[in-house]
Amino acid sequence: MQIEQKSWKDPVLIAMVAPLAIVMVVFFLIPLLMTAVLTFQTTQYYRLSWTWNLKIWTEVFSKPHYWTIMLRTVGMAVVCVLLCVLIAYPAAYAMATRLKSYKTQIQILIIFAFLTDAVLKTFGWILILDKNGVANWLLMHIGFPPEMLNLLFSPAGTMIGMVYNLVTYPMFTIYLSLVRIDRDLVLAAYDAGASRLRTFFEVTLPLSRPGLYSGAVLVFVLSLGAFLEPRVLGGGTSPLASELIRQSFETRVNWPLGAALTLVLIAIGALTLAVSAALTLRRRPNQRSAA
Amino acid sequence: MSPRFKNILLDTLLIGSVLVLLLFFYAPIITLVAFSFTSSRVLTLPIEGFSLQWYGELVSRPDFFPAVLNSAVVAAISMVFATAFGTAGAVAWIRYRFRLQSVFRAVTFAPLLFPQLLLGVVMLLWFSVLGNWLGFSTGLVTVVIGHVVYITPFALVIVAVQVYGFDDTLEDAARDAGATGWQVFREITFPLLWPGIFSAAIFAFLLSWGNFYVSYSLAGTARTLPIFVYSGIAVGSSPIYPALATLNLIPALLLVVTAEVFRRRALKRQSASLPSS
Repeated sequence: MQIEQKSWKDPVLIAMVAPLAIVMVVFFLIPLLMTAVLTFQTTQYYRLSWTWNLKIWTEVFSKPHYWTIMLRTVGMAVVCVLLCVLIAYPAAYAMATRLKSYKTQIQILIIFAFLTDAVLKTFGWILILDKNGVANWLLMHIGFPPEMLNLLFSPAGTMIGMVYNLVTYPMFTIYLSLVRIDRDLVLAAYDAGASRLRTFFEVTLPLSRPGLYSGAVLVFVLSLGAFLEPRVLGGGTSPLASELIRQSFETRVNWPLGAALTLVLIAIGALTLAVSAALTLRRRPNQRSAA
Repeated sequence: MSPRFKNILLDTLLIGSVLVLLLFFYAPIITLVAFSFTSSRVLTLPIEGFSLQWYGELVSRPDFFPAVLNSAVVAAISMVFATAFGTAGAVAWIRYRFRLQSVFRAVTFAPLLFPQLLLGVVMLLWFSVLGNWLGFSTGLVTVVIGHVVYITPFALVIVAVQVYGFDDTLEDAARDAGATGWQVFREITFPLLWPGIFSAAIFAFLLSWGNFYVSYSLAGTARTLPIFVYSGIAVGSSPIYPALATLNLIPALLLVVTAEVFRRRALKRQSASLPSS
């Protein structure tokens, strides 16, 4: 593919880049800055007052309640990442190696489920997980005691919803890095006498790392903002950061506090992204020499 | 264990994992479809009788059609903008090199890495402050802006795949034959990218149609379909929501299948016409 060097004086480049860049700056970057600015203000009688001080930040850092919830959110995100990767990897591997002739159909099925209204899907999970729901009914009919599972309105219910809504991302990133692996490398390992298992751990798995890592980071970052799942499936029993943010906006009408909590969560996500980017960039040179 | 048996076991486990995953994806969807035809008010198994009464009940809710209309308008406008921005962005990402390109890439990709709720909250703060100064309040317009910011990166990635597999010798050939820049674009570039653009548009429409988080933050008093469902199930479950889910599925399925088949056929054609790259 040929690549064109373009200068900013070129009207074609400006026409292609400027509208999108302006939208993203005005409605994404500036709002982010605005959020940061708001954390230095306070509210009085439910109204924002422009007083520059650190009151909100001292409140955020002095209340352990907030940090318990933040920690729980991060913990849930970590578990969610592990589950998503464990579920997505074998399936992506099977799609890349065993089910090549059905891959279009499978991918369409996955994309379609992904695009279906998340609120409706979550409602579907209520019907399944409820004490009198589909899951318990099926279990009872194959001989288990009635009302065996009690997952709705518990952290487990939240987790099922989170994994359900996010597992699609690592599924695709892992699949994409698996299909890009040069088949000859795997065959060379077999020729050299390596077993299937050894080939997998020494050739396939390291080469699929980019997809694995990017999928994991994506799930982590996106699960920090999980809101529907803890509220609808978790029943609000163990609230996550999103619930805290919603309360500070809706119940307490304290924008600066909501902004500060949002910013903390964004900072956690951004830090994770930065660390993983640094790790993959550092790893790249020796990976190239290995390949 | 004989190696042959081991192979069969491995294959079964791997293929089984895909089937289990698909079952996992479709469990709530199938459940919803099944319950939409129940004749009873309670949503538990066994389903007692078949009826279409909940579809009637859904349609007769006074706030149902306004929500559908809002969702449709928002999705249509968001689709147009997200697809146009995504297409232009994809070409700039892949085919051009320019100063500050890495900044452009970061800014246009970042919303994909943002939890939707936070994206919504951050934009809500901005619109509220702006609204205080300029005297407007959040509503469908701000929802559209939010959706465009959130969905454009998805559209960009989908079109970028098409741009990446693009045979640009055809453009050179057209240029050599004396075509102007606009003619090259109209006759060669656009038709070749069209399948990617088309499926990005479908994807954008459905992402916007089913979006809850961004709409919830930015809609103010307006209601889209997912907000209609959310505020409904917060009060109590009713079989009208399974009915709504089922109604939702049919057009969406048609759209997704058309777009994907179309795009994949074009990609295959392209990679077949390219010398092995």
